[in-house]
Amino acid sequence: MNNANKEKIVAKRQKDYKEKVFHFIFLVSALVSVLSVIAIIVFVFSKGLKPFFGEGAYSFFDFITGLKWDPGNDVYGIFYMIVGSVLATLGAIVLGVPIGLLTAVFIAEIAPKKIVAIIRPAIELLAGIPSVIYGAFGLGVIVQLIKKVSPTGQGESLLAVICVLAIMILPTIITLSESSLRAVPKSYREASYGLGASKIQTIFKTVVPAAKSGILSATVLGIGRAIGETMAVMMIAGNNIGGLPNSIWSKIRPLTSNISMEMSYASGRHQDMLFATGVVLFIFILVINTVLIRLTGKMGDEGSKK
Amino acid sequence: MRAKARRWEFTMIKNSNTKLKDGIAGGLIYLSATITVAILIVIIGFVLYKGLPGINLKFLTRMWDDVTTVVDVNRNNVTGNNTEAGYVESLGISIALEDEAVVIKSIDNDSPVKDAVNVKKVPYALKKGDVIGKAGSTNFKNITLEEAKLALNEGTGPIKMKVTRPGGGIVPMLVSTIYIIGLTLIIAAPIGICAAIYLNEYAKPGKTLNIIRFAIQNLAGIPSIIYGLFGMLVFVQGFKMSYSILAGSFTLSIMLLPTIISTTEETLKEVPRTYRESSMGLGATKLQTISKIIIPSALPGILVAIILSIGRIVGESAALIWTAGTIAQIPKTLVGSEAAAATLTTKMYWLIKETADLEQASSIAVVLIVLVIALNILSKFITRRFLKKRTS
Repeated sequence: MNNANKEKIVAKRQKDYKEKVFHFIFLVSALVSVLSVIAIIVFVFSKGLKPFFGEGAYSFFDFITGLKWDPGNDVYGIFYMIVGSVLATLGAIVLGVPIGLLTAVFIAEIAPKKIVAIIRPAIELLAGIPSVIYGAFGLGVIVQLIKKVSPTGQGESLLAVICVLAIMILPTIITLSESSLRAVPKSYREASYGLGASKIQTIFKTVVPAAKSGILSATVLGIGRAIGETMAVMMIAGNNIGGLPNSIWSKIRPLTSNISMEMSYASGRHQDMLFATGVVLFIFILVINTVLIRLTGKMGDEGSKK
Repeated sequence: MRAKARRWEFTMIKNSNTKLKDGIAGGLIYLSATITVAILIVIIGFVLYKGLPGINLKFLTRMWDDVTTVVDVNRNNVTGNNTEAGYVESLGISIALEDEAVVIKSIDNDSPVKDAVNVKKVPYALKKGDVIGKAGSTNFKNITLEEAKLALNEGTGPIKMKVTRPGGGIVPMLVSTIYIIGLTLIIAAPIGICAAIYLNEYAKPGKTLNIIRFAIQNLAGIPSIIYGLFGMLVFVQGFKMSYSILAGSFTLSIMLLPTIISTTEETLKEVPRTYRESSMGLGATKLQTISKIIIPSALPGILVAIILSIGRIVGESAALIWTAGTIAQIPKTLVGSEAAAATLTTKMYWLIKETADLEQASSIAVVLIVLVIALNILSKFITRRFLKKRTS
């Protein structure tokens, strides 16, 4: 009797022990993400900020306001790249968000089920296409088209980047907008119809405004995608070595393509400066992420209130 | 009476105005949906138009680079009864001239070239399609078929041959892609799934949970080029892995954690509460409930998470170029110079950037798109079966 009891206790202890070990394993796995974020920030920032401190430091002001990138002569200015990145992203949003939103409206509100069954896989495929293929498409089609109409006679331009980025953010905008449109309660639509509004009026006056925050976070996510896109953009941007873009036909050199252009052969300060470019990009991304997390957090609150 | 008529007129105008507005808005909606679909069709059409002509059996089954090897073949004078023009009795092979090169067209079952060894005495069996550049002391440049046959049949005993196996295929990239997918999933899947279990089953609302969620959301938003920089700095240079599949896989593992965690968490959330309660009620511990009840019923969702990850790995370029390199070879080790490997996507990028060869790049793109479509269908299939099970 006593023995059996003891065995039971031992077995229970072993069980408890196992439970605790696994609890610990699960916790550590969850903490890997936290450690990774910290490691990425620490390593990229420490290497990227190195050239601005210590002996023979490069002026951070010159770096951030410079209009020329010439590693051979120790000139590193990225202001024109920041402008290029921001303009390309803004253009992509201006072009991509309306098309994406209206497509989402079509899928969520208008299209019959059969057509949705065709369009949805098409959008999923668009989302799954690797960015290198978008780059090849941009190079083979969009750049060639622009070459024909551009006053500069060159296809690689801000416009080409805007077009490709707008295409690339479409799936993100469509899927997120669609799910927030679908989340709008049916009663809203019924109330609108009851007041005598037409279907289109209901969509634009009632459903879209109600899905506003979801569409906004889709847009912010799209901004993050566009500003961080590298491979597709690098092939079609032109990557000039200096000068602000003065029209949609001018070449640009986005931050991301500056890094990827020269990373394979850069060394010493040149390499550090590419990391510094990465730091600037990273700061943009952190701001966008924070805005996005705020937005989605708010959405969650709204949901719980309902 | 007049006032009534005017009001009616006014309503008419208002109505037609609304109709016009509705018509324009409706038209724009249809236009946008058409544009979206048209873009996809144009992209795929472009890739197929440029890439399809380059796709053939050789492209899919050959190595990337030409490989030239010197081999020794023991001729044992098989008495073949083949009477083809290009048949070489002493070796049991048929040869033919293609573009002024001597190509092996067929090999007999008992042919000695199957037991050929290279200079290091390592077996190197010749294959159909290999090009013979030299045999014995005869150079096969600008040679006729008869002369080549004569040179190969000359004398008895072993003969030295210089053989080139032509490249131009994507086999190394396919193999490397599979290696990197495997390695990355071995690292990332357990961590991601365990993290999702922690978040859904153990974590209590509070500071720790907030920090972890914040980190995951941030990780999801970091562009792949930053991952590439980090991987190069830490794994390639810091841990001295050099460009290798392991460095690439570690980098991708971190990048994929948010995808795996959030997709797995979604499915864990869908496991009904009653499952947990009945299991606990029967006296099972929390761990037993997780391993026996929750994970099995969330398995299809976890599978979908893994398929999504595979799709991202297949399409990734920026995070892999500076961690795994762009050399087209089948990696032999996990780290070091023999472990550098280009995936299909990184090789496609390299082709466009270094050689401006859009045709060959598009051929790789066709393979990539086929892979992406296959993965999409697979995940749909799993989701559909899984959903059916749940609702019935």
